[in-house]
Amino acid sequence: MAKRVLIVDDAIFMRNMIKDIFAGGGFEIAGEAANGLEAVERYRELRPDLTTMDIVMPFKSGIEATREIVKSDSKALIVMCSALGQESLVMEAIEAGASDFIVKPFKAEDVLSVVKKVLGDA
Amino acid sequence: MPLDLSKYLGLFVSEAGEHLAQLGAELVRLEGAGREGVAVGELVDGLFRHAHSVKGMAASMELDGIAALAHRAEDLVDPFRRRRLAPDADSVDVLLAAVDGLSALVARAGRGEKADADPALLVRVEAAAARARGESQRPASLPAMRGEGDETRVHDPLPHRGRGQGEGAAPALHRVEVEVEVAGACPVPSVRGFLVVKKLARLGTLARTAPAEEDLRAGRLPGRRLALTLETAEPLSEVERALSQISDLSRVEVHEAAEVAPSAPPAAGTPPAPAVPAPAAAEDADRTVRVRVALLDSFLDAVGELILATSRLREIGRALPQEHRPALDEGVDRLHATVKDLRDKVMAVRLTPLSLLTERLPRSARDLARRLGKQVEVEVCGAEIEIDRALLDDLADPLTHLLRNAVDHGLESPPDRLRAGKSATGRVLVTARRERDRVLLELADDGRGMDPARLRAAAVARGALAAAAAERLTDGEALQLACLPGVSTAHEVTELSGRGVGLDAVKRSVEAVGGALEIDSALGRGTRFLLRLPLTVAVQPVLLVRVAGEVLALPIAKVHGAAEVALAALETSGGAPVLAYDGALVPVHDLGALLGFGGARPAPCSVVVADAEGGQVGFAVDALLGQQEAVLKPLARPFDRVPGLSAVTVLASGRPVFVLDVARLTAA
Repeated sequence: MAKRVLIVDDAIFMRNMIKDIFAGGGFEIAGEAANGLEAVERYRELRPDLTTMDIVMPFKSGIEATREIVKSDSKALIVMCSALGQESLVMEAIEAGASDFIVKPFKAEDVLSVVKKVLGDA
Repeated sequence: MPLDLSKYLGLFVSEAGEHLAQLGAELVRLEGAGREGVAVGELVDGLFRHAHSVKGMAASMELDGIAALAHRAEDLVDPFRRRRLAPDADSVDVLLAAVDGLSALVARAGRGEKADADPALLVRVEAAAARARGESQRPASLPAMRGEGDETRVHDPLPHRGRGQGEGAAPALHRVEVEVEVAGACPVPSVRGFLVVKKLARLGTLARTAPAEEDLRAGRLPGRRLALTLETAEPLSEVERALSQISDLSRVEVHEAAEVAPSAPPAAGTPPAPAVPAPAAAEDADRTVRVRVALLDSFLDAVGELILATSRLREIGRALPQEHRPALDEGVDRLHATVKDLRDKVMAVRLTPLSLLTERLPRSARDLARRLGKQVEVEVCGAEIEIDRALLDDLADPLTHLLRNAVDHGLESPPDRLRAGKSATGRVLVTARRERDRVLLELADDGRGMDPARLRAAAVARGALAAAAAERLTDGEALQLACLPGVSTAHEVTELSGRGVGLDAVKRSVEAVGGALEIDSALGRGTRFLLRLPLTVAVQPVLLVRVAGEVLALPIAKVHGAAEVALAALETSGGAPVLAYDGALVPVHDLGALLGFGGARPAPCSVVVADAEGGQVGFAVDALLGQQEAVLKPLARPFDRVPGLSAVTVLASGRPVFVLDVARLTAA
């Protein structure tokens, strides 16, 4: 069965791009969220196998959202979508419970390989 | 699987553009907030977020020029963000320049160009960032990063002993030595190393990490190699599995060290805490989707075609034998009602908040004021009010012009204002409100106001008005003279805002969308421009007339009525025929002659009385053909240059018809 992914990013453009990457990799897009608040809600409702999480977002950052999600589901698999220059933020996210991270700009195959590893499929 | 980036370009341009617009607007707001001592932390966070988003998006689109400039802008915001301080005016200038540069690059990207950022601008932003960072060395600054100094501990061999002791038979702990090497392709090896540390820490206790966690935090991972000693109750395979889930490790070695005494329970990271309910999110209430403007326009076109097709059906029905007509009419009526409903919905979808327009105002006012050595504060109220987006586009220039006028001509210099007993900072208030099916948009300044006497004199001097006529005008009427071409009230003509052509153009644009411009001013106290705007413009009822074999349309909104007369029988005044209409004498023009169609009007002919620039005017036409709803389309070149024409519409028969610009027909 295809693994279900929740995509969190405040830019529709990034969400679309990530969605296409996952759809091309045989994943099912369980849902999307545009900020940290929404991410926590969607996660509860959808229980995805994996979540990709932008870090800098309005209302609630990806770090806070990760912390909350992992608090309620210690097995949550969350991959942070970061950019160069965000090292300390990524480390904070890792401390909050993120499983891994990818660095923008990313290539489809890199994203898929990180994600498959996190899922234990590779 | 290579990604086709081009398909994201449209979204990229629109989203990056929005981020940049907000960045610009927030910069200006911040400056004001600094003056008023408002907490600026959140605003500065916003700046950072916008710059950051643009950087991330641009990098993903492989638009390195944009990413580089956005990165520099982010660097410049960062020191202020850390200090929770509003950027100073110079930094704001540089940031605004960066926003402009980014906007230009984004626009070029939209046209498929991949341009580099202007090197001079990059250097300028970089220099400003360095300056800002230099200032940040000052004492009271917040601790830059958590975990510096006091946490640099060498892990003692068996830390965290005692936790959970006495919980029965804890599984035996064993020591695992781990060595990993981060792949060369990984752009941030120390973060990768940090992830390894944290993942393993979830399985037990790290007795040793080399380099230390603090080094990793500081970005140091010499040789890309990391060595750790983990005390864990988990089997070796579990440690291996955890490491296998981490990407970008080119080498992983795991082996058993020595057994240690049982102590801590298998520490699975932080124990799962009871779920805390998240604050209720209300965003489900109104979820939105993004629609391309072109698609919206095509909807409107389609609805227009439906309206026309419906009228055409009705027309065909008239030719049918009587017995078939009721059934067809009923069907057409239902179709008509449905199409109208659809039209209303499409119109509603097209409504866009005025904020899209007003957001840029504080920024342009600020820039202009700074160049003029003035101070201005722009307040916008009611920006959430919605209006058709076609109107919004048409209003951008007029509104900007009114604002520039207010700053340039309306507001006095700070010393003048102080002398006049006002605050040094001038205020411009932009207010929008709904009134039935209209939107009232008001722009008011507290500047020097306009002088009716000088306007009268200027109008007379320009030959726009006879001196006697000027004297007869009330002060209120005299203010409207400012809209005549060439009548400028400015002492000195500046390069910045117009030479009296401005208000003329503003008035024309506002009327072109079916609106009206009103001016109100009190000498020494300020000026108020009121724009009365329709919510939607695209569909208007028109009166169809025939002149010399041509069919033309006049907007019903401008038409007062019609009369049937013989032109030759009309009284004349100054050689021109006049019609006694509604207790007044209305000059009558032969529409055929005005438009150069020629031909004589029949007797009797119809005269349509309409509102024109100088009052009511009659237009003699061959016949009135009827009234209908018309979907107005803007004129293409070269017709957009023809005075007296405002739009084009297509009749049910498929025949295109020009819509007349009644107000300016006689002036043409």
